[in-house]
Amino acid sequence: MAKVYNWQIGREMSYWYPEARPERQFAAVFDVNKCIACQTCTLACKTTWTSGRGQEYMLWNNVETKPYGFYPLAWDVNVLQALGPQRWESGRYDGRTIFEAARPGERALGWRPTELDYAHPNVGEDDCHGEVEKGAAFGGQHLLWFFYLARICNHCTYPACLASCPRGSIYKRPEDGIVLLDQGRCRGYQECVKACPYKKVFFNPLTGVSEKCIACFPKIEQGLQPQCFANCIGKIRLAGWLSTPDKADPANPLDYLVHVRKVAKPLMPQLGLEPNVYYIPPLHAPPGFLEQMFGPGVEEALATYRTADDDLAGLLGLFGSTERVVPRWRREGDWILGLEEGGAEIVRVPLREPVHIRAGLDPRFGIQRTNCP
Amino acid sequence: MHRQAILLACSLSAALLSACREQPQASAPTEVVVHPRAALPADPADPAWQGAPAFEAPLLLQDMVEPRQLEASTSSLRVLALSDGSRIAFRLEWDDATRDDELRPGGFSDACAVQLPAQVAVDVPAPQMGEGGKPVEITFWRASWQATVDGRSDALQELYPGAAIDHYPFEAAPLEASADRQREMVALYAPARALGNSMAGARENAVQELVATGPGTLSEGASRRADGRGVRTSSGWAVVISRELPPGLTPGAAAQVAFAVWEGSHQEVGARKMRTAWVPLSLEVAP
Repeated sequence: MAKVYNWQIGREMSYWYPEARPERQFAAVFDVNKCIACQTCTLACKTTWTSGRGQEYMLWNNVETKPYGFYPLAWDVNVLQALGPQRWESGRYDGRTIFEAARPGERALGWRPTELDYAHPNVGEDDCHGEVEKGAAFGGQHLLWFFYLARICNHCTYPACLASCPRGSIYKRPEDGIVLLDQGRCRGYQECVKACPYKKVFFNPLTGVSEKCIACFPKIEQGLQPQCFANCIGKIRLAGWLSTPDKADPANPLDYLVHVRKVAKPLMPQLGLEPNVYYIPPLHAPPGFLEQMFGPGVEEALATYRTADDDLAGLLGLFGSTERVVPRWRREGDWILGLEEGGAEIVRVPLREPVHIRAGLDPRFGIQRTNCP
Repeated sequence: MHRQAILLACSLSAALLSACREQPQASAPTEVVVHPRAALPADPADPAWQGAPAFEAPLLLQDMVEPRQLEASTSSLRVLALSDGSRIAFRLEWDDATRDDELRPGGFSDACAVQLPAQVAVDVPAPQMGEGGKPVEITFWRASWQATVDGRSDALQELYPGAAIDHYPFEAAPLEASADRQREMVALYAPARALGNSMAGARENAVQELVATGPGTLSEGASRRADGRGVRTSSGWAVVISRELPPGLTPGAAAQVAFAVWEGSHQEVGARKMRTAWVPLSLEVAP
């Protein structure tokens, strides 16, 4: 075990390999508040990458309804339960990571889903609490909170899948930090499936090897955002490059959201993987749950989000505005510009979309219009 | 209470010691003796195996490298060996209450392997998968491959008989006159197969020939014309693994062999296995 620095938990930690950060790190911000769980991302991924034999059950991208939805079943509560108490003190994580809590003979604290854990994605997770008589409509008031959590591989800085593979079949690309599983080298031991706490590696029973999200690297190499980003109709996602906090650049949209304004938080940073997909947490969920899921600073993030100024609100408008990866940005009055690394303009979006209010009566047909706000 | 426990321990030790003394000295063979035979049997049930001396190999935990096996499963392996002068055949038999011959998410296949030094010499490679400069050759049999060789088809319905698949894009009616592009899609959606990584799927041989120079280095090895066949017995598995004799394995030469067994239902795979250390191996001279 080596000692590496994980800035998300504010301390050094043990990891199987020494620290080796890529030249630049693929990363993303998902705005949970905009997700409507339409699953267009899931289908975009499915049709692009996992339509083959043995891939039927695989969802490299999935959207689940929290708190009762999981894919695979109980992926998060299982690892949290196994890990035990997770204490934070002034932004520093004082508990154990999954590498530090590894059982004897193992490289990470993991658990193995069975095929039944994958058998019912999304089934029942949106149902109302309590029994509803057959055919009857639920007439009560929803007292429960919920939100939709879209998930892909986090292309972690310290991937547990990579650490756990005894054959070194998983590697992190030095040029972009994307974590890939070598399909020629894998022997299907499923150690990665067991170790990845996010359960984003899947075993293909018909090829006999494991497979995972590849961050659509053939698109990334062409400067394009992955399929699940480009097809998101809620425009909740922004892909890009994330610096470490000491090198944060406000002109980099991801650095601005994660490091400068701190509105986007990693998924379960206490596990110790330094995941690179960041979430703007949901507005209407209990803070304790959100802190468990996204680490400390959630309430401050939401306060900033609720009172977003023109810069922050404008940058959120850049999400889903182009298929291109936008490495830099700036606001010019009422316009937000997405820029190339060299400063050339890729896209421009208005700070506020123009509002058109139609007259209530359509004089041509003499009918009353319905205007949706 | 404490004194009683000590007394009990003493009397037990004494009983064990006397039992050891009473045991006949030359009953258990300490090496795998390879019996000569003009024609090597391919089937574990072949009566030709009856003439070969049996070696009972106690199995050890693989607790040397992560991921380690810390809970014992298969306790021993019964080994018979024959040679026709150019090839060597091993018959491995062990107890296994469950037949695990399917690969699933979280499900593993029973398996066994024979390990020989790539070159039989005085300087023996490390028993755990060899070492740099001193490779070992491993012939690996897996029950899931045997099932495929025995006729199980390569379809999801073999694993999940009730599975209904809406659509595979490469099986839809072709949109163009030439469906070459569509046929290519089969490989696109099975990248491991496209790269020639045959861990599953149609096979003609239930064994794989591998070479290693230490833990984590296992890769495809040169062909030693290996073959294998495993059958379910009333108590477990009986498997025949045969290959060419390794260079240097001649009558009178000091040689070694090692074995490993994987119990699928115990989630054993890769380094998680029961294994032997090097076991002395001697080739008998043909009469």
